[in-house]
Amino acid sequence: MFTSVKYVLTENFQNLYRIYCIAKYELLADMRDSKFGIFWNFASPAIQVLTYWLIFGIAWKRKPVGDIEYLPWLVVGYAAWWFIQPCIQSGCNAVFSKTSVITKMKFPVSVLPATICAKEFFNHLCMLIIAFVTLLICGHGPNLYWMGLIYYAFCAFAFTEAVSLILSVLTMLWRDVRKLITSLMRMLMYFSPVIWECHFSADVPYHNILNFIMKLNPVYYIVNGYRDSVFYHTGFWEHPALTAYFWVVVICLFTAGCMLMYKFKRKFIDLI
Amino acid sequence: MESSKYDNSEYAVELEHVSKIYKLQKKDGESKKKGSESFYALRDISLKIKRGDVVGILGTNGSGKSTLSLVLSGISDIDEGTMDVNGEQALISINTGLNNQLTGLENINVKGALLGFNKKKIQQMTEGVIEFAELGDFLYQPVKKYSSGMKSRLGFSISLALDPDIFIIDEALSVGDKGFAKKCLDRMMKLRNEKDKTILFISHSLPQVKEFCRTGLWIEGGKLMEMGPIDEVCDHYSDYVEKLNAMPGKEKKKMLDEKFKERLIVNEKKSFWTRLFG
Repeated sequence: MFTSVKYVLTENFQNLYRIYCIAKYELLADMRDSKFGIFWNFASPAIQVLTYWLIFGIAWKRKPVGDIEYLPWLVVGYAAWWFIQPCIQSGCNAVFSKTSVITKMKFPVSVLPATICAKEFFNHLCMLIIAFVTLLICGHGPNLYWMGLIYYAFCAFAFTEAVSLILSVLTMLWRDVRKLITSLMRMLMYFSPVIWECHFSADVPYHNILNFIMKLNPVYYIVNGYRDSVFYHTGFWEHPALTAYFWVVVICLFTAGCMLMYKFKRKFIDLI
Repeated sequence: MESSKYDNSEYAVELEHVSKIYKLQKKDGESKKKGSESFYALRDISLKIKRGDVVGILGTNGSGKSTLSLVLSGISDIDEGTMDVNGEQALISINTGLNNQLTGLENINVKGALLGFNKKKIQQMTEGVIEFAELGDFLYQPVKKYSSGMKSRLGFSISLALDPDIFIIDEALSVGDKGFAKKCLDRMMKLRNEKDKTILFISHSLPQVKEFCRTGLWIEGGKLMEMGPIDEVCDHYSDYVEKLNAMPGKEKKKMLDEKFKERLIVNEKKSFWTRLFG
């Protein structure tokens, strides 16, 4: 167990430049593919947020969440989601999409999930810029608590890396995993506080249990963490139980991912 | 199978009773309970390759040459037997790792990074690669605009920057036009003569193999047929190929079928969960 974790960690840290280069040139290739290039890295999340805002904010006349208007509230949550969702979804394909490389050269396979996360992290930064602009327009000026975003971005990175480690190996064993995950991600979005608070009011039966179950979702911690930092001026140390729970989950997932990766590192070529 | 330790053994590669088994897909209509069939890609191969030797690997299509190269380069795991590799090995692969959208110059960085070079090394090698690949102004064009020969030239030039102890070259020199193939061969000759690298060379071109290699290794049907001085092995191999070609169609098919059956093994069914935790 420890050897596998050590193996994956050393392989990743020894290959930081490799990870950076692969991520960078893959982004570059994506941009070359289209005429407007980097414009789409900003436009596609902006259009998504706009859609949700028009439907839920305008058409369904959502009340402000607490004392925060719906649009800024949505933008911040969606920024976190815009990192987690593509990371996990393309994380499934991390190893499979590099089939040609891993069958033809000696390649440290365990760095592939990290390249996906690094690549999506760039998109995340683009989305954060959109979020900041929206926040400024809506009158939420920056303050020191915003630094919490760095911590929560790191949380998101650790979580998605752990999940994509597992999923990338499982996808190699069983190609259906990717399709399953694509469908489940949509469900996960509605069970995470991205477009609604994920809080059942008192008139829903079993609302206490339901609310507790919602908090077990690690994405809940990340998305709400983003909002805590921006709106509510609370640091992560103010939720010790949830923080501890989150990191235990991440470490368990990461260990499981490492063990899978270690076990199958030389078998991938036979699984294609 | 540790390849990192570098002892002073006389041999670069030692294989003992190595087998590699591939799973076969079920034919349509076969019952699921029957269990899957497997196939010996390599069967009970024992060989020793001396350090600094240049080995030509011969064999007909499907005889297991490429599998052997994958096994030797450490990409693929063996199923039976033991394998000792002293020194670092690298498979020279030409077209992998090139990104069609990016320019030739950017691709030097991409493939360089995939091969695991650091930033400094990539900067150092870039000039050499440009010179060797002879792409001219196409260097600044996206690779999708390249002809297949140009692509291979770029890919091969980048691979040359590798400096392992054991080179494994799978059909690599059959790319590009005659002039470039010659240039590559010259470069490999230089490696062979000056740096005293161990080179494993897979090719269907007998003259090329004869010219370049010292030892011949002939595998057929996943088994090692012969290993010895290159000229002898080459002669025996070409005799065999001629004999095969002279056979009437039916007889040849029967023989090939028999050979295939020999390599088959039927094994029990393993479920997804046993694969995961077993």
